[in-house]
Amino acid sequence: MSTSDLKLIAHLMRRAGFGATRQELKEFVSKGYESVVEDLLHPGDPENLPDDLIRRYHPDHSELRFLYSAAGYWLYRMITTSNPLEEKLTLFWHGLFATGYSKLNQARSLLNQIDMFRVNGLGNFSEILLQLSKDPAMLLWLDNNDNHKGAINENFGRELLELFSMGIGNYSEQDIKEASRAFTGWTLGNVDYMAMRASKDSIWPYGRIAWHFEYRPDDHDNGEKTFLGETGNFNGEQIIDLIAKDEATARFVSTRLFQFFAADTVGEKEQETIESMMKSYFDSNYEIRSVLRTLFNSSYFKSEKARYSRIKGPVEQIVGAIHLAGSYSTPTIGIEEVAQQAFYMGQGLLEPPTVEGWHEGEEWIDSGALVERTNFASSEVGNLDSPGVRTMIQNICTNNGGSMSPETVVDKCLDMLGAFDVSEKTLSALVGHVSRSGNIDLNDNDEFENSENRLAEVFRLITASPDFQRA
Amino acid sequence: MPTSAEEKFRIEYLKTVGICNNGFSGRGFSNPVDIAINPDNRIFILNRCDPTRRTAIRIGICNIEEDYLGEFGYGYGDGDGQFVQPTCMAFDKQDFLHVTDEHNNRVSVFDSSGKYVSKWGIPGTGEGKINNPAGIAFDSQNFGYVVNQLENRIQKFTSTGEFVMGWGEEGSGTGQFNRPWGITTDENNNVYVADWRNDRVQKFSSEGLFLKSFGDTGESEGKFQRPSDVAVDKNGNIYVSDWGNERVQIITSTGDFHTTLLGSATPSKWANDFFESNQDELVERNKSNLKPNLPPHLNSPYHTSSQTESYFWGPIAVSLDSQERLYVVESNRHRFQVYSKV
Repeated sequence: MSTSDLKLIAHLMRRAGFGATRQELKEFVSKGYESVVEDLLHPGDPENLPDDLIRRYHPDHSELRFLYSAAGYWLYRMITTSNPLEEKLTLFWHGLFATGYSKLNQARSLLNQIDMFRVNGLGNFSEILLQLSKDPAMLLWLDNNDNHKGAINENFGRELLELFSMGIGNYSEQDIKEASRAFTGWTLGNVDYMAMRASKDSIWPYGRIAWHFEYRPDDHDNGEKTFLGETGNFNGEQIIDLIAKDEATARFVSTRLFQFFAADTVGEKEQETIESMMKSYFDSNYEIRSVLRTLFNSSYFKSEKARYSRIKGPVEQIVGAIHLAGSYSTPTIGIEEVAQQAFYMGQGLLEPPTVEGWHEGEEWIDSGALVERTNFASSEVGNLDSPGVRTMIQNICTNNGGSMSPETVVDKCLDMLGAFDVSEKTLSALVGHVSRSGNIDLNDNDEFENSENRLAEVFRLITASPDFQRA
Repeated sequence: MPTSAEEKFRIEYLKTVGICNNGFSGRGFSNPVDIAINPDNRIFILNRCDPTRRTAIRIGICNIEEDYLGEFGYGYGDGDGQFVQPTCMAFDKQDFLHVTDEHNNRVSVFDSSGKYVSKWGIPGTGEGKINNPAGIAFDSQNFGYVVNQLENRIQKFTSTGEFVMGWGEEGSGTGQFNRPWGITTDENNNVYVADWRNDRVQKFSSEGLFLKSFGDTGESEGKFQRPSDVAVDKNGNIYVSDWGNERVQIITSTGDFHTTLLGSATPSKWANDFFESNQDELVERNKSNLKPNLPPHLNSPYHTSSQTESYFWGPIAVSLDSQERLYVVESNRHRFQVYSKV
C-alpha cells in the first residue's frame, strides 16, 4: 500500500463520507480508488444501527416528536452507516432543499423527507424535484397549501427555480407565476387541520399526526401556461421536466455538488471540472450518480490542491470525531446532547436557519463555534474509554516496539486519525509539545498508563488544531 | 382450567384514556412504557423519556373513569427512588410496586401510595446479577421473574430480591432468547416471555422448563414483529403487543390465532376537555379524514400508525385487570386503549 494511495482514499472518504478509521482505509486501499468510488455510488442496503434497537431504547426516537430526538435519530444513522456517501449526500440535499422544524413542528414528516433524499439522492434529478414537490414538509414549509387555483401563492414556485434548481437570473418573474399555477392543487391530506396544528404547535390530544401528500384536481389550474419559453397545459410534472433539461439547472446542480464535495470556493480553474459534471448530467439523463462519479474521478478532485480545501461543517466534524472514537455505535444516553452540540456549532439538523440553508465554508467558523468544535472533537477522540480510541492505542502498541521519538509519536497518531495531514507549523508544534516529556515507550509496563494518556493528549491536540477543521 | 379453544369470546373496544403531556406535572402521559393495575383498580403508568425531558420520567396514577389521581417520582438519577431508564413494573402480592431500570440495573420498590420503600438487585453479569433488566412479573407464590435482556436470561427472585434460579441463554432455539422484553405469569404460575428479537412468545414452567413457543417472524396472523409484552387471561388466552407490526394479537392457549386488534382510539375525557377549550381545532378535526389512504411508500405499519390517530402506534405493553379487561399502552400516542372480553 503506497502512502499516496492511502492519502488519496482518506481524502475521498473525508469528502464522500465522514472520514474513515485507519482499519477501514486499509480495506479501501486494497480495493483500489475507482472500485471504492463505485461502491460508494452503489450503496445497496446499508448496515447501520437497527431501528428496532434505537426505538426500544429511546421511546422518544420511536415517536420522533422532538427536534433533538429526531436529529439524534439521524445522527445514529450517519455514525453507523455502511453507506457513508448515501448519508453525506442526504445531508447535502437537506442543506440545498432546506426545510426547518421551527415552522412545521413535525419532526416525523421531516425525517420522511430525509428518507426520500436517501432513497432518491443518487438518482435522476427530475425525480428528486418531483418527490420534493410532493413532500408534505416542503409543501407546508413553502406555503403551497395556500397556492390555489385563481389565487396563487408563489413561494414554492419561486424557490423551486431560485434556490432548488436553476439559480437567479435564469428565469423570469412570469415563469415563477406560471410554475406556481402548475403546482396548484399539490397539498397534503387534511391540510387545514394539519396546518393549524403546525402553526399552534399542537401536540394534543395524542401527539403529532404525520403528513402525507394529496393532489386535489379540483384546486388545480389546468389552464394553458408558458414556462421557459414553452407553452402547454402544464402540471407540476411538466414544469419539472422543463427545469431538469435546462442548462442552467445542470450548472446549478453541478456547482453546488462541487462546492459541497470538492472545494468551498469556485474559481476559473474549477470550471473545467464543473463543465465535465454538466456533461455527465445530460449524458446520463440527469443522474446524480453519474455527476458524482465524474467529480470523484476528476484530476481536480484527486489533486493536492483539493485536499483540505473545505471547512468541515459541524455535522461532519461531529460525526467524523464520533466515527473515529467508535462511540454511539449502540443506543446510548446522550445522543440528544450530541444533536444539540451541532446546533451550538451552527448546524442544527432538521432546522436550517432559512430556506437558503446554511452558509458554508469559512462562515462555519466563529469564535464560539470554534470552541465548541474543538472541545467536542477533543473529548471524543481523546477519550481512552471509547472503543475506537482503544483500538488506535492498541494499533500503535502493536506496530511499534520500544521507545518512540516525539516525531514518531506524532506521525503514528496522525496516521491513526485517518492518515491525516497537518501543516508544517502544526507538525512542529505537536512534536515540540511531545518533546517536553520525551520519548514514549509503550513496552514499559510501569509507564503504560502515562504513555496512554500522552497518546490521548496528542489525539486531543491534533483535533484541536486548525488543520482538523478542514476536510 | 378450561382450554381457550373451548371458550367463545370476542373483544370489544371500550375506551381510551390519556392525553399527551409535555413533561409537566399533571394529567396525561409522556411516552408511557408500562402499566400496572392495583387490586383497588388504580392504574399506574410508567413514563419514560430521554434525559433532555427528564422531568417527565415518573409514574402517573389514574382510574378507568379517567380521574387523574396523582403521580410520583424522585427525580432523575441513581439515588433511592430515582430513575434513569425505567423499563417495566409489576405489583407483587403484597401490593408493592417493583420497577426495573435498565440503566441503574436494579429494581426499585414503592408502596401503592408511591412512597419509596427499598431497592433490590446486584448489578453485574452472571447468576443472580441484574444486567439491563426489562420485564418483571410476580406469580401467586410472590416470586418475581426478571428479564435480563442483555444476558438473555430469566431470573427468579423472592419479592425481597433473593435469587432463586434462572434460565436461558442467547440463541433462537427453544429456551433461548434474543433480547427478551415483557414477561407475565398465568393462573398456574407458568411464565410467558416476549422473546423480542426472536419474534415469538415462549412459555415455561415456574422452574424454567420450556413448555411451548408461539409465533414466528412475519406480518400475517399469528406471526410477530418484535413482540414487546404479553398478558394471559384466566383461560390461558394470550395477548401480545406485536410492537413492530403496530397491533395486538390474541392467540389461544393452544396456539391458535384468535384476533388482531389495530386500535380504535377515540377522544378520551381529557382529550374532550382539550377540544372544549380549543374549538378551532375541533372544527378542523371534524372536517378531516383521520383514516386516510396513504401513498404506497408510507404504507408500512409504522408509517400507517404515525398518520392514523385511532390506530395503535408503539403498542408497547399489555395488561389485564381483575375483570379481564385488556389495556394496551401506546408509547407514541401517550394513552392506553381498553378492551373488554365478551
